[in-house]
Amino acid sequence: MNDAAKRPAVGMLPTERIDYSPIAGRKVPKLPGGGRMLVWCIVNVEEWDILSPMPRTVLTPPAGGAPSPDIPNWAWHEYGNRVGFWRMLKVFDEFKVPVTLAINGSAIAAYPQIVQAANERNWEFIGHGFTQRNMQKVEDERADIRRTREVITRVSGKPPRGWLGPGLTETWETPDLLAEEGYDYVCDWVLDDQPVWLKTRTRPILNIPYTQECNDVAMMLIQHHTAAEYFERARDQFEQIYQDAADGARVMALVQHPYIVGAPHRLKYLRQAIATMAARKDVLFWTGAQIVDWFMQE
Amino acid sequence: MPNPTLPRERTAYSAIVDRPPLKLPGGARLVFWTIVNLEVWDIGKPMARQVLPAPTGQPMLPDVPNWSWHEYGMRVGVWRFFDLFRRLSIRPTLSINARVCEDYVRVAQEAKDAGWEFMGHSYEQGPIHKEADQAAMIARAMGILEKFTGKRPVGWLGPGLTETYETPELLAAAGVKYIGDWVYDDEPTTIETANGPLVTLPYSVELNDIPMMIVQHHESDYLSKRAIDQFDRLYAEGAQRAKILALAIHPYISGQPHRIKYLEQIYDYVAGHDGVLHWNGEQILDWYLAQTNTAIRAE
Repeated sequence: MNDAAKRPAVGMLPTERIDYSPIAGRKVPKLPGGGRMLVWCIVNVEEWDILSPMPRTVLTPPAGGAPSPDIPNWAWHEYGNRVGFWRMLKVFDEFKVPVTLAINGSAIAAYPQIVQAANERNWEFIGHGFTQRNMQKVEDERADIRRTREVITRVSGKPPRGWLGPGLTETWETPDLLAEEGYDYVCDWVLDDQPVWLKTRTRPILNIPYTQECNDVAMMLIQHHTAAEYFERARDQFEQIYQDAADGARVMALVQHPYIVGAPHRLKYLRQAIATMAARKDVLFWTGAQIVDWFMQE
Repeated sequence: MPNPTLPRERTAYSAIVDRPPLKLPGGARLVFWTIVNLEVWDIGKPMARQVLPAPTGQPMLPDVPNWSWHEYGMRVGVWRFFDLFRRLSIRPTLSINARVCEDYVRVAQEAKDAGWEFMGHSYEQGPIHKEADQAAMIARAMGILEKFTGKRPVGWLGPGLTETYETPELLAAAGVKYIGDWVYDDEPTTIETANGPLVTLPYSVELNDIPMMIVQHHESDYLSKRAIDQFDRLYAEGAQRAKILALAIHPYISGQPHRIKYLEQIYDYVAGHDGVLHWNGEQILDWYLAQTNTAIRAE
């Protein structure tokens, strides 16, 4: 078998970055204060360019097609930043959740009020593409990553430590570029309940567990579940991970997009999910950076 | 198209928490805006929606099953709506393809006699991007409705909420005062056009039986569950600032025998609450203009 034809020109295969490892038997650091498991909430704030196709649609046009401009679907998403985000904020404030904010670089300029609200609460900013686009379609990936880092540093006072690809997309060399551009962690490799190391051509980079399961895009937009599923699935996920964490700390992610879970008919299920998890005293709500710092101590 | 006017150029981003609260009369908390959509699906063209995708995946013309499915709404389903809203003394906004006034006069007349507010919704159902002469179509649609009802509509909803970059200019020029395509807020907003300002009203793609039943494939009872969840949240928030809930329905969907009871349940639930106003689009427009002292109504 000739492998050479299948190798990418740059970067590495995933199997070259990370070996298979069963979770049973792994040792992870203990959590402080008797903590048993970690929960982190990632809010995704995007800017959808009206001149490009909409990343997602709720209402397809009559008789199909892909009209431009796509006013209804642009507006549906915009609702999240105008209205949805602000009611989600009340839930996070009520339970004092330190949110990790995955924000497009261009959204930072478009929504300064959201940036201000995040800064007032010391939320962590992570890179999420300069624009909301598949990273494989970006002309200069390194420039995109670097530009995102600059803009986040400028508005938050700190360079971002983490990165989440738009739609979790990567090229073959994304982890290499991230490590070179000063990022400490990435979230695109949703393959474990604990942080794992990825090799790059320079230094290793940590991947921390994000989620496709407890994610409002997957549940509501792709699988078309009822709003209640957001809570029910989070509760079921949480109860299982909490049990599993008897053998060692685990990380559970809960993902929100303001235009989805911030809709009036869904907000209460977000609140129920967080309330359920916050009721246990040995569950710690952390940011991605806190998770990285904990995991790296040894 | 050279230099299209982008949405951002028509209105700035605004966080709802930064705006002064709007207030409804009599201390009301919430406006409930019902919009019934009536369409004409030309049998010679691909159907706007398909409840039964073609067995080969390729829609063949004539598309009898999906045409018939829509036709049921005009023959049977809409009469359940007329009964319901007569019983509730609610006069919805009627988002109506102008061609309904030609092809389904009986239905259009019933709505007119019941005092429903006619709102422009294209001549017939299809995306507005495919119109060869959009200005002419808008003039034709608005003219037909004005002639039929004796009053020129003040509102417009694009077919499938579609617009081109120049649609707002064309609508303002045709005398439209409010549009429903910009589903980006809980409140009315004002957007700029080269022919004067237009008001956007918060229509809905979330409480709308096309995305819910035809795109997302929810069970019929989810219509009332989602609407009640939406209502509960907006009603609670309505203690602080006026809220508007829009419910968009189509007779061939929510008028089906297995769905109509869930529609009825929504109104029964809402009726158990004080401080809810059942208004049409024109009433919402007039209230908003008075609240913001905008002088775009010429009369």
